[in-house]
Amino acid sequence: MRLLLLEDDALLGEGLRDYLRSHSHVVDWCRSLLDLQRLGDEPFDAWIVDWQLPDGSGLQWLKGRRASGDPTPAVMLTARDRLAERLEGLDAGADDYLVKPFAPEELAARLRAISRRSAGQAQDRLRLGDVELDFRGHSAWRAGVRCELTGREWAVLEALALRAGRIVPKNELERLVLGSQSELASNALEVHVAALRRKLGRELVTTVRGMGYSVART
Amino acid sequence: MKPEAGAATRAASPPSIRRRISVAMAAWSAACGMAVGGAVWLAASYTVDALLDDVLRASAGLMAELVAVRPRSIQGQASTVGEPVLNPDIDRFAWQVVANEQVVQRSDNAPKEALRMGLDAGFSNSAQWRVYSLPMPDGGKVLHVGQYRADRDKARGEVTLSAAVSALVVALLGYFWLTRRLRQELQPLQTLSDRVAAWSLRTDQAGQALGEPEREELRSVHTALATLAERLAQRIAAEQAFNAHAAHALRTPLAGIDAQLAVALLDCPPQLAERLQRLRGATARLQAVVAALLAMFRSGTEMQCGRVNLCELVQRLPMPGLQVHVSPELEVWADADLLAAALLNLLDNSQRHGAKQVWLHAKPEGHLLVSDDGPGIAQTQRLRLQQALDEQAYEGSTGLGLMLADRVARMHNGRLRLLAQPAGFAVLIELGPAQLHQ
Repeated sequence: MRLLLLEDDALLGEGLRDYLRSHSHVVDWCRSLLDLQRLGDEPFDAWIVDWQLPDGSGLQWLKGRRASGDPTPAVMLTARDRLAERLEGLDAGADDYLVKPFAPEELAARLRAISRRSAGQAQDRLRLGDVELDFRGHSAWRAGVRCELTGREWAVLEALALRAGRIVPKNELERLVLGSQSELASNALEVHVAALRRKLGRELVTTVRGMGYSVART
Repeated sequence: MKPEAGAATRAASPPSIRRRISVAMAAWSAACGMAVGGAVWLAASYTVDALLDDVLRASAGLMAELVAVRPRSIQGQASTVGEPVLNPDIDRFAWQVVANEQVVQRSDNAPKEALRMGLDAGFSNSAQWRVYSLPMPDGGKVLHVGQYRADRDKARGEVTLSAAVSALVVALLGYFWLTRRLRQELQPLQTLSDRVAAWSLRTDQAGQALGEPEREELRSVHTALATLAERLAQRIAAEQAFNAHAAHALRTPLAGIDAQLAVALLDCPPQLAERLQRLRGATARLQAVVAALLAMFRSGTEMQCGRVNLCELVQRLPMPGLQVHVSPELEVWADADLLAAALLNLLDNSQRHGAKQVWLHAKPEGHLLVSDDGPGIAQTQRLRLQQALDEQAYEGSTGLGLMLADRVARMHNGRLRLLAQPAGFAVLIELGPAQLHQ
């Protein structure tokens, strides 16, 4: 998943970024709203937002995004643990609320949960034809045989699987998988898609000419 | 002090103002009623006696004239048979004419013996009669007019009893009326108490929560309470601001440390993994303690109670080397953060004192028993610790673990009890009735 991490604390931000990256997520870490503004309008699978930022409120930013109709799942990170504050955070549009301190494993689990919910799935496993995906273990099986995937290959497969049944434009898929480095490697996506087809079958990922890629929902 | 001795130290209920004044009024009403009744009794007796004597004297004068004018027409022992009878007898009076100490004439109800010897005028008493004597004008004779003393006593008794009972009834009615008025006048105090009890110390309500005083005498109390509330609200606002700042300043770095350790553990050399894991466990314990301390000292805010599954809670507590036995369905109603901190400290105590296993048991009324297989403590030490907990004299007596656990229990309207055990150490966390800390 491509994740936006909006957290001003260097120790926590760096730790979460590295931890989530180690779990094959693409993480864009912004330490302020100004950093986020510089990042531009990028697609993300989920936002991880700190309430209190040096140049404003993460909660207000989230409210603004929700008001503009952006449904990207969001996890609110904050030291505020009172019931009224939790309610305020959730009512502002957060899909989940995590009180500091927390274990990064819990954050990862919650991210899996909200991405699962947003994709309309009930479990961590998803079957696409004869291919089965395990979102928790970041692994894939074809006809019951486990296929070894690189981190990027898994990221491409996960991004398409979470959007199964719809066409994902190539540039959006590039940005979801490669993050801000997508412009530097214009053919990287085709390489990863080809590898996926080789390992999991040609029919898994469909190219829609001039539009993008898709995987069929079964 | 033994644990049960703590109950003896609780203050007895203070005396009730209403009850004390009611008792005083009842005593006053009874005394006043009896005094007034007695006074009325004496006054009425004297007055009735005087009235009856007046009537007796007037009757004697009338009889004397009748006897003098028509001596033969008066019915009596000495009257002439066949003469017209003038019957002056009335039930309450008797008369006789005495000459030379012999009764020469008398009414039917008069005794045959003279009611009195002598010729003197005036009142006298015999065993049965009140007598008024009046010498006759022709000399040598005297008219005695008597009245039964029993009749007089009866008349006097009826009058004085009625007056005394009336006085007592008035006193009794006065007592009930005053008691009712007293209750009405004390009601504003109860109202004030209710308002203070329901008082939220939010800053925007501090000045207005008590409303207007319902009695002039309560104005100063309202003013003092409002001033105190303002100060408290300011203090709480400052504490909340500090707490929020402290929470951010403590929680975020702790989360950062844990995240960094988690990353370091991913690809660290094997010889460092165990050390890092221990460090991470210690960080998790520190996180739980900090969360509990912040929750515990967050004044002016409510606890966040809910149904807590003990099995899930214990799984979150890092306690390497200690086996914790807890039933999967064991639940209590509590603030999860606070209970986690209490358990964490008790488990830490058990581990540091050499226990290998700890058991969590549910007890009636939402109590939680934590026992271990450690060496336990001596009876004298247990009683000393219990006394310190009962008196909340933690400093120098108990460690941080017991103090925190006791504070958590007290925040749930309960207490901590150290139980006598044949082996090991056992602590009963009394969480108090759930409805009190919801």
